[in-house]
Amino acid sequence: MWEYITFGLIVQLFVSGILFGTMYGIAAIGLSLIFGTMRIIFFAQGAMIVFFAYICYWFFTLLGIDPYLSLLLIIPLSLLLGVAFYYGLFKGAAALEDRVSSLLIAVGLIFLLENLMTVLWTADPRSIVTAYTSYVLRPWEINMPFTRLMALLIAVLSTAGVLLFLKKTLIGTAVRAASEDVVSTALMGINPNWVNAIAFAIGIGLTGIAGVTLATVYSFDPVYGFVFALKAMIALALGGFGNVVGALLGGILLGLIESLGSFFVGAGWNEAIAFVVFLLVLSFKPEGLFGRSVEKG
Amino acid sequence: MENRLLEVKGVDVLYGDIQAIWNVSIHVEEGTIVALVGSNGAGKTTLLRTISGIIRASKGEILFSGKPLNKLKAQEVVDMGVSHVPEGRRLFSNLTVLENLRLGGYLPRSRPLFNDSLERAYDLFPVLKNRKDQKAGSLSGGEQQMLAIGRALMAQPNLLMLDEPSLGLSPIFVRTIFELINTLNTQNVTILLVEQNINQALKIAHQAYVLKTGKIAMTGKGEELLADPEVQKAYIGERWRKH
Repeated sequence: MWEYITFGLIVQLFVSGILFGTMYGIAAIGLSLIFGTMRIIFFAQGAMIVFFAYICYWFFTLLGIDPYLSLLLIIPLSLLLGVAFYYGLFKGAAALEDRVSSLLIAVGLIFLLENLMTVLWTADPRSIVTAYTSYVLRPWEINMPFTRLMALLIAVLSTAGVLLFLKKTLIGTAVRAASEDVVSTALMGINPNWVNAIAFAIGIGLTGIAGVTLATVYSFDPVYGFVFALKAMIALALGGFGNVVGALLGGILLGLIESLGSFFVGAGWNEAIAFVVFLLVLSFKPEGLFGRSVEKG
Repeated sequence: MENRLLEVKGVDVLYGDIQAIWNVSIHVEEGTIVALVGSNGAGKTTLLRTISGIIRASKGEILFSGKPLNKLKAQEVVDMGVSHVPEGRRLFSNLTVLENLRLGGYLPRSRPLFNDSLERAYDLFPVLKNRKDQKAGSLSGGEQQMLAIGRALMAQPNLLMLDEPSLGLSPIFVRTIFELINTLNTQNVTILLVEQNINQALKIAHQAYVLKTGKIAMTGKGEELLADPEVQKAYIGERWRKH
């Protein structure tokens, strides 16, 4: 196969990888924020993404709303759902600092969502077909599917939005502070529940955004989310826990690894390669490739 | 001198099955410096953590300006006017100096006063102004302690509780910190001070309590306790007398 390799092909693999990885990236940012304040991996992240992909599908098929336009409804909806999830499901366990219960609730949520989705939309794969679904831009002979390019754009914008919120607002600063030391934030008069709820809102908000981009790019079924959550976790480990830009870069890197891996090693090895990289990073650079080395005062 | 700002009455604190504090009663008069001294593990830090609502008393009552604190959460206790500078400072080390101070002034009641409080903190600790955009974790130990105290002052407290402010600092910084405590006190901040540096603490304290294995062993004016042969023998010893 080596004789087929051209510069153009390599560029194509890179572009596909980057476009592919952005969705892992946004999911990883959500995981990172929730991990930051609650110290749990929110395993239901993937199921939530698929859930919002279905909501987007519903808006499209039942109401005829364009998927990208539906973001205007899905973002507020998902933010509210995040707050509701925290106060409804996780607040009690968080108050007891009971991480095992929080994890079990998250896992329970996966089963609940997967079954709910199967009842509502059946187990058949669904996809959204619009006028632009198969539209491909071809600058310099490189294929750039429009929907993937939009996914990249949306991922970059959401990362910038989350960063601005965390850096420029007082409550965002409080979220970053709480991910370092919850007790100390309480001593500043900051309600830990409020900070957790904000982290959940953003985390679930990002699943809403990822759900829309998923629905425009792939076909999906109710159990598609679990592998997605695992990939987001790998992206998070690559980027470094508690680092928003790192999480996005980790996602993109994972996309690249998968894209190059499936070409050079074979598509069947995709996930194996991803997990090998995951284990290597955890063994040799557990703070993540883009993580700050861990300093404790 | 009969204006009790803080009153701790018959408090018991349990850590799981282990009792850390036994029937402790102390009070802090408004405008004074009160020292809480004793050896490691005597329960000093536990008592401060109980007052600030991080842990709960299993028995007894804590009153601040006559209002009960012991049912309140930590974030509500600060709002009442009690700021706690915890042991080990617990700064947000990845946040900048200014961000740490901003969070110190997070309470809705202290937000309108933010600019004044910030100016006051910078007046007290000019070094913080020079380093406002630096990460808190990059400061020296002494500077970190200043930031921790500055951050607590941003909430405009009536009572400032300091847990081991001199721990791990160079002798110059230790002197600075004790001078600062005096300065704050003259600016109408009441102070409850936990210290290992018993000699220094008793020198500046109006009133002091000696804690021993979770119980109040002795109480009196700072100077009286400092002169007490028993205190000298048990807690101060040769090392401190030389200074």
